[in-house]
Amino acid sequence: MKLMELNIQLLAHKKGQGSTKNGRDSESKRLGAKAADGEFVTGGSILYRQRGTKIYPGKNVGIGSDDTVYAKVPGVVRFERLGKDRKQVSVYPEN
Amino acid sequence: MIRVNIKKNQITIKGHADYEEFGKDIVCASVTSIATTTINAIIRLDSEAIDFKSDAGLIEINVKKHSNLVDTLLLNMTELLKELEKDYKKYIKINEEVL
Repeated sequence: MKLMELNIQLLAHKKGQGSTKNGRDSESKRLGAKAADGEFVTGGSILYRQRGTKIYPGKNVGIGSDDTVYAKVPGVVRFERLGKDRKQVSVYPEN
Repeated sequence: MIRVNIKKNQITIKGHADYEEFGKDIVCASVTSIATTTINAIIRLDSEAIDFKSDAGLIEINVKKHSNLVDTLLLNMTELLKELEKDYKKYIKINEEVL
């Protein structure tokens, strides 16, 4: 007669029974640029949504309490360098 | 939970211990090691004394020929399983038919 094979997990539940503790994520906040360089925008238009100041407010641009930068006047959007390693966005009215 | 049913001519071990995930279930490992050691010892000594079935979640031993040797080995197995039950009540339950 054949001997019994030793399978020490014969009476254990199969793999995949357990559950993962991951799988959660917060709602995406759609951050980033809302107007392109060279684009004409109206006054009050949002230019860039961000957390902290990746992009600084330049000429004719304001910054909200949540660091959103927006145009104060209608004009053309320009993304520019600010110092060595920073960026700013300005709006230049069309004359 | 593993359920052990002990009768005069048949011992069945059914179910899953559910002590830990697959590969780490020490209760399952203990029960299957005790049963496998006993079954193979009896077969090596007298291959006609028992037959057995084993599958995921099931071990069944049918006694075809009682002898002092076979009965002692089976008694040893059931006593070991009872000791295990004392420490892991939630994972193994033994039911013995009164002869």
